[in-house]
Amino acid sequence: MNLIREIWQSIVRRDPLSTDKGKSELVFLNVWLHIHPAKVKKENMKFRHTFYLGFITFFLFLILLTTGIALMVYYRPYPPQAYQDMKDLQFAVFMGTFLRNMHRWAAHGMVICVFLHMCRVFYTGSYKKPRQFNWVIGVLLLLLTLSLSFTGYLLPWDQLAYWAITVGTNIGSYAPLIGGQLRELLLGGHSVGEGALIRFYVLHVAVLPAAMILLTIVHFWRVRKDGGLSRPVWKLKGKKEELVTIGAPAVAVPMQASAASKDKTYGLMEVVSGKPIFETVTPEEEEDTVFSYPYAFVREAVVLMATVTTVMTMSLFLNAPLEELANPAKTPNPAKAPWYFLGLQELVSHSAFLGGVVAPALMVLALLAIPYLDRNPSRRPRDRKLILWLFTIFVVANLALIVIGTFFRGPGWAMVPPWVHVVGGAE
Amino acid sequence: MERRLQQLFFALSLLALALILAAAWQANTPSWKTYQRSFLQLEAQEEPNAITKAAVLATPPEIHQVLLPGLQRVDRCTTCHLGVEDPTMKNAPEPFRYHENLGPHVPAKFGCTICHGGQGLATDKDSAHGKVDFWPNPLLTKDYIRASCGRCHKEGDVPGVPELTAGHRLFETQGCRGCHKLNGVGGSIGPDLTGEGANRRAPEWLEAHFLAPNAVSAGSAMPNFHFTKDQARDLTYYMLSLTNEEMGSYFSSLRLIPSPEYGRQLFVEKNCIACHSIGGVGAKTAPDLLGVTKRHSIEWLDEQLVNPELVYPGSAMPEYDLETNARKALVAYMASATAEDAQAILSRRARAMTTEEIAIEAGKQNFSRFGCVGCHGTELQGGVANPNAQGGEVPSLLHVSDDYTKDEVIAIIRNGRVPPLDNTAGPTPPLYMPSWKNVLSDEDINRIADYLWSKQQKAKDAW
Repeated sequence: MNLIREIWQSIVRRDPLSTDKGKSELVFLNVWLHIHPAKVKKENMKFRHTFYLGFITFFLFLILLTTGIALMVYYRPYPPQAYQDMKDLQFAVFMGTFLRNMHRWAAHGMVICVFLHMCRVFYTGSYKKPRQFNWVIGVLLLLLTLSLSFTGYLLPWDQLAYWAITVGTNIGSYAPLIGGQLRELLLGGHSVGEGALIRFYVLHVAVLPAAMILLTIVHFWRVRKDGGLSRPVWKLKGKKEELVTIGAPAVAVPMQASAASKDKTYGLMEVVSGKPIFETVTPEEEEDTVFSYPYAFVREAVVLMATVTTVMTMSLFLNAPLEELANPAKTPNPAKAPWYFLGLQELVSHSAFLGGVVAPALMVLALLAIPYLDRNPSRRPRDRKLILWLFTIFVVANLALIVIGTFFRGPGWAMVPPWVHVVGGAE
Repeated sequence: MERRLQQLFFALSLLALALILAAAWQANTPSWKTYQRSFLQLEAQEEPNAITKAAVLATPPEIHQVLLPGLQRVDRCTTCHLGVEDPTMKNAPEPFRYHENLGPHVPAKFGCTICHGGQGLATDKDSAHGKVDFWPNPLLTKDYIRASCGRCHKEGDVPGVPELTAGHRLFETQGCRGCHKLNGVGGSIGPDLTGEGANRRAPEWLEAHFLAPNAVSAGSAMPNFHFTKDQARDLTYYMLSLTNEEMGSYFSSLRLIPSPEYGRQLFVEKNCIACHSIGGVGAKTAPDLLGVTKRHSIEWLDEQLVNPELVYPGSAMPEYDLETNARKALVAYMASATAEDAQAILSRRARAMTTEEIAIEAGKQNFSRFGCVGCHGTELQGGVANPNAQGGEVPSLLHVSDDYTKDEVIAIIRNGRVPPLDNTAGPTPPLYMPSWKNVLSDEDINRIADYLWSKQQKAKDAW
């Protein structure tokens, strides 16, 4: 019995959870949990402030990591075995269909959630000082998510995969000077083939996930360091106007190291003094704080399980698509890129250079530069009407283009409403 | 609120567990397991003994598959069609019924899909029969299944399938190639027909298309050839037999198809004509073999080749230790052997060879066996390109005696030689004569020289 207790205590060193000390130690003695503060503000954890979209995105990424590793066991990244392995997953591997479905639906879900998360952060003005750089990291994570989805798209090696990647990489080749070479580098040749498959595979299972994990760590760290979860500070009642502008106050007080006294040893937290860059905490707010355990954890756990069960339910009833074996000689009409690039393809159909190069480049640059271009310090929606309108137009235009590309484009990229059946359109 | 959330978490966790169990249950109860259980029950019915009955019923379910690596095919059909090779299942209900008339096409070697179509990898009925989206070739119906014979049997008449021969002839005589490419030859007005049999086109569609191209393919540029119904069917058969897959060569490379040509080769090799005759041509020691396949069953002949004494006590015929396909090939040759052919075989053996001739023959064998023909040609003509070597190619050996003595040639074969250069500053020619002394015995080399000398065209005579 003593041995068991000794082993337990060698693993768990905190005080019992019934005590406040234990609750704090649970968080900061644990390498995984200490990304949380020991105490959180109740106000911050409200569902309708963030919809937990960042959490959901992260949980979907965890699902993708686990199912992805399981799928790797059954997958050989060269044609045509890759396609045969998809069939094996479907017909011979125990729960193989379920596994692949989960990976597929979680991947689509992640693209959607990462985008919604970005919208939420924009509408609440949470990219403003001091969170500018974390917004930039967020945009990079969005691009990584799209790249991961895009590289994964090719791996089943069916007609859908083959032609979506052919179209997708063709869009990339419209970039001036380097476009062609970039495409060749990515594909390992002039067209999608064995070389492309192994390159996409390596990107999909090693390079991009590693980059994703590294940037996610930075992203989370910055959330902590930049003042914790964002919330609509302008809604706080009975607070002074000062609270509305978060972060370093408008009249910046430079941080100063206090003079070191000779008869005292200093910890780092004592050397770095001056006003913290966190949101101002008033006494009322201080009362609003609770221990992360269990207040924050139970909420995160509920969101985690809700995410997992949603993906599982979808995977039980909806099968991931798998078309015929990739056939370079048989082009489907129309050949479409993955759905999240269909807006881009729609633009390309009007002008290859403007739509395929200028527009996406401007979009990405604008997203990256937003926190530095937007000089308005207020986060109150009333003060940000113009930029909110602009962003809404950007979002709606993107969605509209994707909807047109997905549902309204028929053979020869002609406008065909989805309710009109095209004879021979499947050929 | 806090309590509610904890309850919600608990409920969601239970839901997740239930979903995993549901997925596992779904994965664990595929339809093929049900079929295997019914089959075991069918088999157990026949067992009188209770213990064996229990043993049969206790057979664990498993996926059966035939791998055809050369064709990138995996056929799992026998996972449900469990009785295809079991004659006692002649009257069993589908999917367990015995497959009659298979002949040499045993499912264990040929799989099923190369003839029947469908999706070999699939393990549920609709997917396996290819009656799903995104599978280009569903099962062929009874009316058209014989078209598949043409996928391997490309040349000549296919016994039992006159439609294929007729369709092939129509294709070549009606000018189809003017518009359609087949195996790289033909026009490009119509679609390339190479591999047409693997396209998702219903046979009914093809047949209707041949009768009236515009009826099924609006705006088709193909003229109406006014084919009769029979001709349309013949062409449909031929189209269905067109495939990109090298099925015939795959199976012959495995020697699964015992061809009469292989049989004839064995007949010559084993010197059967030394005892037997065909249609009176040959030796009279053993029975005449003309029409022997009509007098005896295939099984009887096979048994005779395995162990002659067992079938004919006191038979003088030696046991040749032939493998199954060699025996089948011999029987296949017997079915088509004629007296003229025997005459041809005999004429080559009629005269005993002199020692000199034997040496030359052996030299010729060596010359081809050790790959000399690769550069110097089967007729010693040379001509393989060898940049920057004198003359730019491997020399012909037909005039070698003009420049060298026999001993010099033997020395060159023994020690090898780098060819003289056209341009001394140029690159080294890729080909050169290797040294053979470690590979060939002196006797072998001498025989090759003998062979070369026997082939010399006397330049002086021709002068």
